Amino acid sequence: MKVPMKWLKEYVDVNMTAEAYASRMVMTGTGVEGVEKTGAQFDNVVVGYVVSCVDHPNSDHLHICMVDVGQTEPIQIICGAPNVHAGMRVAAALDGAHLPGGKIKKGKMRGEVSMGMLCSGPELDVPAGLYPHIGDEGIIEIFEDVAPGTDVKEVFGLGDDIIDYEILANRPDCLSVWGLARESSAVLEEHFVMPEIAVEETGKGTFDDYAKVIVEDDTLCPRYCARVITGVKIGPSPRWMREYLYGAGVRPINNIVDITNFVMLETGHPMHAFDLSKVKDQTIVVRRAKPGEKLTTLDGKEHVLDESMLVIADNENATGLAGIMGGEESEIVSDTASVLFECAAFERANNRVTARTLGIRTESSGRFEKGVCAETTMEALERACMLVNMLECGSVVPGAYDHYPHPAEPKSIDASVARICRRIGVDVPGETMEDILNRLYIDTTLVGDDKLHCEIPAFRMDMETEADVSEEVLRMYGYDHIPSTLMNAVTMPGYRSEKIVFADRVKDALVGMGLYEVLNYSFISPRWIEKLNLPADDPRRNAVTLRNPLGEDTSVMRTSLVPSMLNTVAANLNRGITAGRLFELSKVFVPAEKAGELPEEKAALCVGCFGEDVDFYTVKNIVVWLLAKFGVTAAIEAAGDGYYHPGRKAVMTADGVQIAALGEIHPDVAEAFDISRRVYVAEIDLDALMPMEKDFYGVKPLPKFPAVTRDIAVVVAEKVGAGSMMDLIRKTAAKTLEDVKLFDIYRGDKLGLGVKSVAYSITLRAPDRTLTDEEINATMDKVLKALNQQFGAELRT
Amino acid sequence: MENKLREIRERVLQNIEDARASGNLEQIRVGILGKKGELTGLLRGMGKLPPEERPRMGQLVNDVRAALEARLEERAAELREKEKQARLEAEAIDVTLPGPERSAGTLHPMNIALRKMVEIFVGMGYEAVEGPEVEFDHYNFELLNIPKNHPARDAQDTFYIDDNIVLRTHTSPVQARIMTTRKPPIRVICPGRVYRADEADATHSPVFHQMEGLVIDENITMGDLKGTLDEFARQMFGEGIRTRFRPSFFPFTEPSAEVDLTCANCRGEGCRMCKGTGWIEVLGAGMVNPRVLEMCGIDSTKYSGFAFGMGVERMALLKYNIPNLRYLYENDLRFLTQYR
Repeated sequence: MKVPMKWLKEYVDVNMTAEAYASRMVMTGTGVEGVEKTGAQFDNVVVGYVVSCVDHPNSDHLHICMVDVGQTEPIQIICGAPNVHAGMRVAAALDGAHLPGGKIKKGKMRGEVSMGMLCSGPELDVPAGLYPHIGDEGIIEIFEDVAPGTDVKEVFGLGDDIIDYEILANRPDCLSVWGLARESSAVLEEHFVMPEIAVEETGKGTFDDYAKVIVEDDTLCPRYCARVITGVKIGPSPRWMREYLYGAGVRPINNIVDITNFVMLETGHPMHAFDLSKVKDQTIVVRRAKPGEKLTTLDGKEHVLDESMLVIADNENATGLAGIMGGEESEIVSDTASVLFECAAFERANNRVTARTLGIRTESSGRFEKGVCAETTMEALERACMLVNMLECGSVVPGAYDHYPHPAEPKSIDASVARICRRIGVDVPGETMEDILNRLYIDTTLVGDDKLHCEIPAFRMDMETEADVSEEVLRMYGYDHIPSTLMNAVTMPGYRSEKIVFADRVKDALVGMGLYEVLNYSFISPRWIEKLNLPADDPRRNAVTLRNPLGEDTSVMRTSLVPSMLNTVAANLNRGITAGRLFELSKVFVPAEKAGELPEEKAALCVGCFGEDVDFYTVKNIVVWLLAKFGVTAAIEAAGDGYYHPGRKAVMTADGVQIAALGEIHPDVAEAFDISRRVYVAEIDLDALMPMEKDFYGVKPLPKFPAVTRDIAVVVAEKVGAGSMMDLIRKTAAKTLEDVKLFDIYRGDKLGLGVKSVAYSITLRAPDRTLTDEEINATMDKVLKALNQQFGAELRT
Repeated sequence: MENKLREIRERVLQNIEDARASGNLEQIRVGILGKKGELTGLLRGMGKLPPEERPRMGQLVNDVRAALEARLEERAAELREKEKQARLEAEAIDVTLPGPERSAGTLHPMNIALRKMVEIFVGMGYEAVEGPEVEFDHYNFELLNIPKNHPARDAQDTFYIDDNIVLRTHTSPVQARIMTTRKPPIRVICPGRVYRADEADATHSPVFHQMEGLVIDENITMGDLKGTLDEFARQMFGEGIRTRFRPSFFPFTEPSAEVDLTCANCRGEGCRMCKGTGWIEVLGAGMVNPRVLEMCGIDSTKYSGFAFGMGVERMALLKYNIPNLRYLYENDLRFLTQYR
C-alpha cells in the first residue's frame, strides 16, 4: 500500500527522513518495499511563458516559439502542438531533461534550433485527473500565475515522498492511512490525532424518504451502513485530495468517486456510491444470488452466479457483487444529482471464494477477504459525509441506515508477564509491557506483578491469545534485544533417517564412479511419457495430474525419471557437450488406488551416459558396482522395456525381484527426444534395493594351501551368453572354485559361421588341503560336461 | 715366467680399464681365469718348474690372480652403477603430461549445500526425517493455522491435485506430522522438495528445496531460536556471520521473524549483493503458535518450541556465488563440473 508522507503527517508527527522512518517501521514489523517520490519519472521541466509563436518556414505544422524559462533571455523551442500560442504558460523540458520517453537534447528541427521541448500530459506521464488542464490533445496549458522557471512539479503537486508499505496478512488494519498513522505513533512515540467526525446534515427530509435497504443475510453481511446525499454537483475534487490519491496510486476521477476512494484509503473501509436515481425503486436488497442469475459488472463482463454468492440487488435483479464490484446502471456520471453511499462489512471467506470463482480481484475484494472491521464502518461513512460538507459537493440528508444486528463483543486477553518473558527469552518489566501495549491502543492494566489485563480494540482482529501479546511486546521492545542462547534441554541423539543415509550412500558411490548429479522438476509433460512408446496398459501412463499446472510441460507428476534424463542429455548435446555421465535420485509418484488418498512416492534412481567413451557395459558396470556396494549380486537377462534397443537391453533381478533395467535407448525414442547419438540409461529401484543390503559377516580366513589355475576355451553358438556360461561354471565347480575370469572371445573363419570361442581362466583351491591332479581334472571334466549339456559347448582343440 | 706374469698382469689390468660394459669384463675374466684361461694355463705349467721354485712361483701366480679378481669385481661394480644411472636417465618421463582422462563426478550444488546444512543440525542433536511431497491440505495448511479461504494462502501459490490434496508448498507439513505422532521432546529437521506455482526466473522456481527445523520442549525461548540460528550461520558461512531478526508474520508461529544474515560477500559493510544494507534475508522462523501445538495434540501450557524454514537453493546461491537460480535446474555440465 502506497501512502504519501504528507497525508500520513496530517495525523502523526514524523520528524525524520522518509528513509529513517521506513527503517524504524521495518524493525517493528511493518514492511516497507521502498520509498519513492511522485513525479520521479521526469526532471528539469519548468514553467515557460511563450513570448512569441510563428510558423516554421519549412513545415506545415511546426511552430517556432520564443519561450521565457526564467533565464536572462527567452530560448527558442520548436513545437508541433496545435494549441501552442503566444501568451500561454507551458511546461518546458530544458536541454538535458529526463522524460519517461527519453532524454531531451538541444538540436535542429528542419533547420531551426530547438533548445528543449514543450510537453503534453502523456509526455510527462501526468494524468488529467491530477492536473485538470491537461487535455487529451496538445501541450499542457498552465493557468496559475507562476513565474517562468518554476519547477512544474510544484504546479502539479508532485515531489512528495511516497512510502510503499508491505502489510502482513495479520494486520489488515494497517491497510489504511489512519491505521498506519496509529501504528507509526506507537513506534515513534508520537501522538496520533484523528480528525473529529462531525457531519452537517443540510439535506431535506430523512434517509427513509429517499431510499430503502433490505439486508437478507446477516451472516454474509454483518453490517450495512448507508447515507443519502442530495443536490450533488459532480466536478473535480480539490487539489490536495487529487494529490493524495495520485500519490497513493489511485486515479482521481470526480469528487464523489474520489471521496469513496479517499475514505477507503484513509479508513480501510471500501465504499460504494450509487447514483440513487438509477437504482430501481430506490431499493437496495443485499441477498444471495439465485442459481444461474446473470450479472454484468462495471468492467462489462457477464457472470453467471450461484447461491453461495452475495449480491447487491434492486427489487428484481442483481446489480452488483457485494464487496467486489458494482454494476453498470447505477454508476456515478457527470449529471448525477443524488447519491447513496454504502459502507458495509462482508464475510471474509465468502467474499474470497466468490471473487476467486468469478476470477475478479479488486481493491475492495482484496480488503474484504483480508478482513474489514465491522465496528468502525459507520465512522468511515461519516468521514465520507464530512468530506461532502468540506468539498461542498452536495447536501447530506439527515439520518442514516445502519444494519448491525450482532455487534462484536469486546475482546480482552489476560496474559502473564513471566510467561511472556519465558517465551521471548527477554526479561521485559511488566510496567514496560503495559506501556508498550497502551501505546498500541491496547488498553492494558498491570494487575499485581504478573497479570496484564488487555482490552483489545476492535480494529485488532488478529489479537487472540497471550502469544499474540508477546509478539506485540517483543516487536516494540525490539527484536535486537533477543539474546543468543542455546537451549537448556535434554540431550538428544542427532542422526539422519535410514532412508536419507541410504540415499546419501548411493549418491556417494555414483559420484565416486565419476557421475554428476542432476536435478529435474518432479512434474513433466504427459507428451514426454508418450514418447517412450509404452504399451497402452503400462502403469507409467497413469500419472498424478495437477489441477492447476503452470503449463502442459509441467502438468503431471513423474512416473519415471527416464524422460527427464533424456531431456537433460538432449539439452547438453545441444550446448555442444559431447560426453557425460549423469544420475538423478528422486521420487516417482504412483497414483493411489482410491480417490482421496495420497499417491505412493517411490525412491528412484536413473543413470544416463552418452559420448564416445561409453557403451552398454559402462552402464552395466555402474549398476553392478553399485549393487556390489550393498552386497547384492543380481542375475541379468536380455529383456526390458520397448524404449530400449531390442538387442541391447537387460533387466537385473535379485531375490526374485527386478531391481534394475538398463540398456541403450531405442533410436526412435532418442529421436523423439531430439537426440541423434547413442544414449545409455539405467533405472534402479532404490526402495527394492534398500532392504536387500546384506550385513557384513566378517572376514574369511586367509588361504593356507596353494591355488591352481586352469584355462579352458570352448566353442559355442553365438547366441549363448558368455556371462551365463560363467554362472554355470561357478555353480558346477562351486565346492573348490575360487575365481573364474573370462579372458578371450574369438570369432573366425577357422571356427565356422555362427559360433564363437570363449576362454575362461578358472582358479580352484581347497581350504584344508592341496588339491590333487585327480581332483582338479575331475572338476574340469564336470565343468566341460555341464557346459556341453546346457549350452552345447565343445572344448576347443 | 716372472716376466710373463708381469706382462699378463699389466695387460689384463689395462683391458679391465678399457672395458665399457659389464659383459666385457666377463669375457676378460674367462680369458684369464677360466678353465682355458692364460693364468690357469700358467698354473698348469708349474709342473715343469723345478720343485724349489714352485712355491714362490705359485705364490706369485696366486697374487696376480687375486689382484686381477679384485680389480674385476671393483670395475664390475663401477660399470653396473654407471649402467643403472644411464638406465634411470633414459627412463625419465614427462611428468607434466596429463594422465588418462577421467571425470571426477560431483553431487549437485543444491545437495552439497543441503548436506552441509543437515550435518550442522545433526551435530546439534537433530534427527533428519522426510515426509511426502504430495500432501493433504490438512497437514500443509490447516494444522498450521491456515484455514481454507484464508488470505495467508495467497502468499504460497499452491498446486492442487484435488480439493484436499496439494503439492506441499513448504516442508512445514512434516512438522505437523511429527507433532501429531510423537511426544516432546522433539528436535527434527525435515529437508525436501517443495512446490509453488511461480514461473521460473532468476529468483523463483516452481520446484525447490527447503529445510524445516522444529524443536518442542519445556522452556524453549526465542533466544534459543536465535542462538541456534547464529550457530548455524557461523558453521555454514564462517566466523563473523550473525543473524538479525525482524518482526514478521506466519500463521503457525507467534512471535514470527524474518531472519537476515550478515552479507558474506562484504561481511556487513554493504555491497551490491545486499543492496548496501549489509544483510541478506534468508529464512523465516518463530515460536510455534500455541494453537498449532494444541491442534496437534501437544499441551501448550507445558511445552513451547520454535520452528524455522530455510530455502536450500537460496543457501547454495549465497554460499557458492551462483548468480541465477535457473542454473540449478538447467543441468548444464559446464556448470555442474565446477563443483567439488
